[in-house]
Amino acid sequence: MHSDRFRRSCVALLSVALVSMGAQLPAAASVVTTSEAVAARQGDGRAVVDAALARADVQAKLAEMGVDRAAIEGRLAALSPEEMRTLADQIESAPAGGDFLAVVGVVFVVLIILELVGVIDIFKKT
Amino acid sequence: MTRSAAAVAALALALTGCAASPPLADGLPATAPGTIELAQTPFFPQEQYQCGPAALATLLVASGVTVEPADLTPEAYLPARKGSLSLELIAATRRHGRMPWVLSTTADEMVSELESGRPVLILQNLGLPQIPRWHYAVFVGYDAGRNVAILRSGDRERLEMKWQRFAGAWHRGGRFAMTVLRPGEIPPTAEPARFIEAAAGLEAAGQRRAAAAAYDAAIARWPEQPLAWLGRGNSAYAEGDREGAADAWSRAILLDPGDAAARNNLAELLLEAGCLDESRRQLERAAAAPGGDALAAAIADTRAKVDAATATACRFGERIWPD
Repeated sequence: MHSDRFRRSCVALLSVALVSMGAQLPAAASVVTTSEAVAARQGDGRAVVDAALARADVQAKLAEMGVDRAAIEGRLAALSPEEMRTLADQIESAPAGGDFLAVVGVVFVVLIILELVGVIDIFKKT
Repeated sequence: MTRSAAAVAALALALTGCAASPPLADGLPATAPGTIELAQTPFFPQEQYQCGPAALATLLVASGVTVEPADLTPEAYLPARKGSLSLELIAATRRHGRMPWVLSTTADEMVSELESGRPVLILQNLGLPQIPRWHYAVFVGYDAGRNVAILRSGDRERLEMKWQRFAGAWHRGGRFAMTVLRPGEIPPTAEPARFIEAAAGLEAAGQRRAAAAAYDAAIARWPEQPLAWLGRGNSAYAEGDREGAADAWSRAILLDPGDAAARNNLAELLLEAGCLDESRRQLERAAAAPGGDALAAAIADTRAKVDAATATACRFGERIWPD
């Protein structure tokens, strides 16, 4: 009895959520943006669909990676669908320019030698 | 050479894995000046790990935006990575009403941008491919006679770097380079597809005015590009200019009858104006066009709205629409 009521409220809640999602989608999709048209011309129709999924992904990762929650929306809003997808894939691996260097032990010694023989500038103040 | 010295040298080559680049003078385009320096470029010494915001602020201020590196930190710095991703620098540029222009991977285009008076933001790997030290700097000039690149970098207002080291670090950094364009500016090396895609990025970011200026500039330079007309139509529609949108989308369709996006958007406009028959006709053309598959969802959505609408008088009157 108790669980039945619970189940029913869950269903009701889900239906409301789904219906309101359905109501929003056509309005948002009716005019094709130039970015979407570019993606479609490149034969990449997935970009448009995947961007919505990627967006949630990037949103979560930015929060996890220390970005202030209030700043996240603005950062996402300035990305095209294609870029959103790329960022979702590469946020952990793409180069992050910031002069950060994490090295230990023997690697450190090799680096000093390379620096001294003039191959790299890893320790120089830029 | 002792055995250990040889080993270190071999290791150095193996780790860097880059062929020695030629001196600057050998690679310069014939028309390029022997020296150039954008000495007026501002300088923002970077805080720890903040070379991304500092370098981007340099470019934005040079293009007439009032901004400080500290304003860009919440827009483009990623604490867990202790740095900034280039995609986020691109996005942050748009937020300040400027168009990010990502350069091709040849040094020629960097030189061309300097000649146009635009400093170039570059990503360098100052370390090794396997142990990177990623750094953003601003390339503001060079002296081919002395074989040096001139940079704003870190806490150095004017850093001279031997060309080969500069080119090597840029190469190890994946050859990422960008400039910042004022609304309506087109670089001399721009091709239509790349430029319109960049303008579309502004549109996606909600920078309507800057996007509209970019599409207008694109149309002035390449009047036969349907995507530029699609963009102008999208900008006009977003501003509530229905006539302007109708004209631009019609032109896109005349230039490319297979432009499913322009047909779908025109159908949406016709639907809103009560011209249901014409709207349906445009949607049928859109669905049958070569690009129709990729946009099938959008076309189906518009179609569903047309089917649900009740007929009224067409507010566009007796206008002739593209076939």
